[in-house]
Amino acid sequence: MRIVANAGQAARRRLEAAPQFGLLVIIVALCGLFTLKQPDYVSFFNLFAMGRSLSVDVVIGFSQMVVLAIGNMNLSVGSIGVCSVMLAGYLMQTWHLPVSIAFLLALALGGTLGGLNGFSIVKSGVSSFVVTLASANIFSGAMLVLTRARPINGLPASVSAIGLYRVFGFVSPALLAATTLGALLSVFFRYSVSGKEMLAAGANPTAAAMSGIPVNRSIVLSHILSGVLAGVAGLMVVVRVGAAIPSVGGQDWLLPSFLGPVLGGVALSGGFVSVTGTLLGAMLVTIIRSGLLVLDIGNFWLQLFLGLFLLAAVLARRYGGIFRRCL
Amino acid sequence: MKVCIDSVSKMFQNVRALDVVSVEFAAGEIHSLVGENGAGKSTLVRIITGVHRPDSGVVKLDGNPVRFGSPRDALAAGIGAVHQERNLIPHFSVGENILLERLPTGNGFVDYKAIDARASEMLDILDPGIDVRSDVSSMSVAHMQLIEIAKALSLNARALLFDEPTDSITKHGAAALVKVLRRLSSAGVAIVFVSHKLDEVLVFSDRVSVLRGGRVVASNEPIAEMSRPRLVSLMIGREERIAQIGHGCGVIGDVALELTSVATSYGHRGIDLTLRKTEVLGLYGLVGAGRTEHARAIVGVGKIISGEVVVRGRRVTVHNPYEALARHRIGYVSEDRKDEGLILSHGVRSNIAMTVWRAIASMFKLLNRTTEATVANSYVRKLAIRISSLDQMVSTLSGGNQQKVSIAKWLAAATDTLILDEPTVGIDIKTKVELHELIDELARQDQTDLLQLERGCLA
Amino acid sequence: MIALRRLLETEWGGLALIFGLGGGAAGLLSASFFTEFNIYVMLRSGCVGILVAFAQMIVLAVGQMNLAVGALGGLVAVLFGAMLEVLDLPLPVAIALALLIGVAGGLFNGVLTAGTGIGSFIVTLASGSMFTGINVGISQSKPFHGIPAEFVAFGDARWSFMPALLWPSLIVAPLLAIFLYRLTPGRRLLAVGGNAHAAELSGISPGAMVILAHAISGGLAGLAAVLAVAQLGAAQPEIGATWLLISFAGPIIGGASLNGGRISILGAMFAVLVIALIENLLVIVMVDPYWVQFTLGALLLTTVGLNQWRATHAARA
Repeated sequence: MRIVANAGQAARRRLEAAPQFGLLVIIVALCGLFTLKQPDYVSFFNLFAMGRSLSVDVVIGFSQMVVLAIGNMNLSVGSIGVCSVMLAGYLMQTWHLPVSIAFLLALALGGTLGGLNGFSIVKSGVSSFVVTLASANIFSGAMLVLTRARPINGLPASVSAIGLYRVFGFVSPALLAATTLGALLSVFFRYSVSGKEMLAAGANPTAAAMSGIPVNRSIVLSHILSGVLAGVAGLMVVVRVGAAIPSVGGQDWLLPSFLGPVLGGVALSGGFVSVTGTLLGAMLVTIIRSGLLVLDIGNFWLQLFLGLFLLAAVLARRYGGIFRRCL
Repeated sequence: MKVCIDSVSKMFQNVRALDVVSVEFAAGEIHSLVGENGAGKSTLVRIITGVHRPDSGVVKLDGNPVRFGSPRDALAAGIGAVHQERNLIPHFSVGENILLERLPTGNGFVDYKAIDARASEMLDILDPGIDVRSDVSSMSVAHMQLIEIAKALSLNARALLFDEPTDSITKHGAAALVKVLRRLSSAGVAIVFVSHKLDEVLVFSDRVSVLRGGRVVASNEPIAEMSRPRLVSLMIGREERIAQIGHGCGVIGDVALELTSVATSYGHRGIDLTLRKTEVLGLYGLVGAGRTEHARAIVGVGKIISGEVVVRGRRVTVHNPYEALARHRIGYVSEDRKDEGLILSHGVRSNIAMTVWRAIASMFKLLNRTTEATVANSYVRKLAIRISSLDQMVSTLSGGNQQKVSIAKWLAAATDTLILDEPTVGIDIKTKVELHELIDELARQDQTDLLQLERGCLA
Repeated sequence: MIALRRLLETEWGGLALIFGLGGGAAGLLSASFFTEFNIYVMLRSGCVGILVAFAQMIVLAVGQMNLAVGALGGLVAVLFGAMLEVLDLPLPVAIALALLIGVAGGLFNGVLTAGTGIGSFIVTLASGSMFTGINVGISQSKPFHGIPAEFVAFGDARWSFMPALLWPSLIVAPLLAIFLYRLTPGRRLLAVGGNAHAAELSGISPGAMVILAHAISGGLAGLAAVLAVAQLGAAQPEIGATWLLISFAGPIIGGASLNGGRISILGAMFAVLVIALIENLLVIVMVDPYWVQFTLGALLLTTVGLNQWRATHAARA
């Protein structure tokens, strides 16, 4: 029995590491391929630009990842994002609040909207899919009514200035923020009581509840975190674009929010997250997106490749295990 | 039709559910299959009905080996079954559920009149009071089981397997069932009857086989040569070491938990119970008596409608297990360790320390993983849990070790009162003895009060 | 009174009542509601939505979901337009091929889901992206305008207040009803949705039913796309972009269970009509059109919340 146990555990470690390792290999391979075609693919400028776009995708992925941890899903990531964006813009332009305060309040809004999601899910007992599908439209609709779909352009210059800042020549503040958030989330899920309780509740809500874990509280907390992260992603776009545009987020964020985590090995059923996986997954998406331009395939076919990659990744995970066991 | 099981083995993860089992179910006989929980009876039924495939060995029908890829193959071969769990389609009518396998049609369209007529025919034998047109979800548990039985009977099968078919039905329904089974067996159908109700088994079976720990310990014995004591001893085995349990060595203390005239949302009425410090109180009852539900109501799963619950002298209302643990220091080891006791996809470390994360966390609610490991390791040692590492996934542990982890979790929580629901179910004999001794030690040395629930026929 | 109570006991009765009463209230609120033309406009706006709702409903019936309904619709619309404008195919042939492409897309989803055991959520999320990708790649985000005049005319045609565009729904609905309630494959499909394991134990193949459901869903999405082209007068690549919400809102408000095995055809239909009514009202009363999205979301949330509340209360009683 000992032998079987060891093999099982070794296999599990391999299974866990596999998506990340596989992703890394694919990323390096693609980068190599694209650099061959266009040598300045790895120029500081291009890396900087990709890093900024990557950061948004990564944080959107984190936003979905934290609710996947508890076995829920959040279809309103994009809506919460754009609400935070428009509030920040409004506060800065109309009320002339300093950037930091406006950003903080925007994040608070994100957390509140997420909290509303979590609270509705827990109190009503309706699935997170339906609740967030509905709330996505409620939030977006309310935002459109309040802003009349007009972009807010009169933002203080300091906003765009943040975006142009460069560290080590190619790292943007957005990328720093994304990686810092990643580190914090890692700590959260590995070392904090709330994070571990969230994973336990996601893996088996019944067992977790019977062991004295406050499952409902965990659900609400995960949605609040998700909302805040959606807000962060939105604010990153504001910094990059220099304006608050109401077409940001919305349904555009739906696929990317799942792509990162799923490519990175996060289970849709809950109980398991991978920060590195989500990061690498989002990186892969960004690289595919930029790579299509390099290969002159044209951005039109982007969605096709993203969908194919998602399918391939999920299939590989499903059948890779069987393949490995046969070896 | 004769159903022959030849050297069939089946393993799930690391648990050997069936170990080279050979048994014969002859045509025209009512053959009972008995054994404790976890002995492998249901697994055998599932293999015969095509739900699972054997790892080795073969199933033979009338001498011909068969391989069932799905339940459909088994049905086509003439095998019908009533499984232990309910398998009904909610929102479909009773009649449609009964005839689902072969819906009567007229001109290509489903013939609802024929469904009503034929289903009523089948069901009236068992209970004429059920309206076959009503929604099956609105039926009582007893009626649902009757409907499942009618479903199996309508298959015109040549071999019928019943897994605990009388658990929820009334004596009247059970009697009607036996009459039907007798009629079918005299028509040449092989009937396999899985039951833990030994009295029933002794009354109407022709033969009996006994499973224990996945192995056959008695095969095809004529019922005339069987007695209840002999069946019981076969089921629980003789070779096990008698547990070294002390006899009332501890000082029985004050009342720790008291229930007075408690009624629950599950249907209990007028329950009185007194549990004293360092006492191990055994609660026995047959399946369906309500022990589990009663225990769950104490920890807040399910409501207590009336009566008093007094914990260490104070009257309390427990709303959920979180409160039961945090405020009243009461723990509950569930009998269903796979779904309720353990998080199978997580490691041993998390599963054991889950109840004390909040207690061992330092500032900012951050956990020191070394402290977590220390806590988990101490219980791994204490309970002699065989693991390869603290991060080993619990689903890869044997049943006995899994149960130990489930109990370790509650030991770590250092509760004052612990309710153990069938703590030794589905576990090998050796581990069972270990656990009994551990429970005894808990009460005496660790000053914990224990309420232990066990199934009826084994004292 | 008894008739009223019996009507309300059905899943669709409440919605039908709301539609009727709502219409009455709308007439009182605004004189321009009860004109023949306005009723026609209102009904016409719901025609495509009803089929989209049916496309999701059949997949919900088997206990799954289809996130690619809109994407598949868009792809079929674009290919339909290409067949008419670029390949110059006769209209009936193009329509038939369009429906077949829809079914093919559905089969893709169904076979992947049933064959690999990967959840329908991920499969249709991925396939939806693929369909959109092919759509945008072929159309380059530009619409096809070469739609035969008689087809566009069909999209505008009406008999008094009845839009011609409503007929396909009125034909599909009873066909779906016959399939799901009077034909064995339909009963099997619903059985799998209700309890897949129990259905399997009764000899039904859950995989086959899943494939069947997705194929029908794809075909209905294709039909919706063809009608959308008639409605718009052009094969626009944006067709389907807004279908996600209505595809779920219709069946769910209409009484479908997300767990599977329980749907209401009339419920979905009346739900879509109620939504069309509300949208029409908002336009007439000149409320900010941006309120539509908000109202839809709120309507969906309130309905499921109420259903859940009713279910928990009934259980406790």
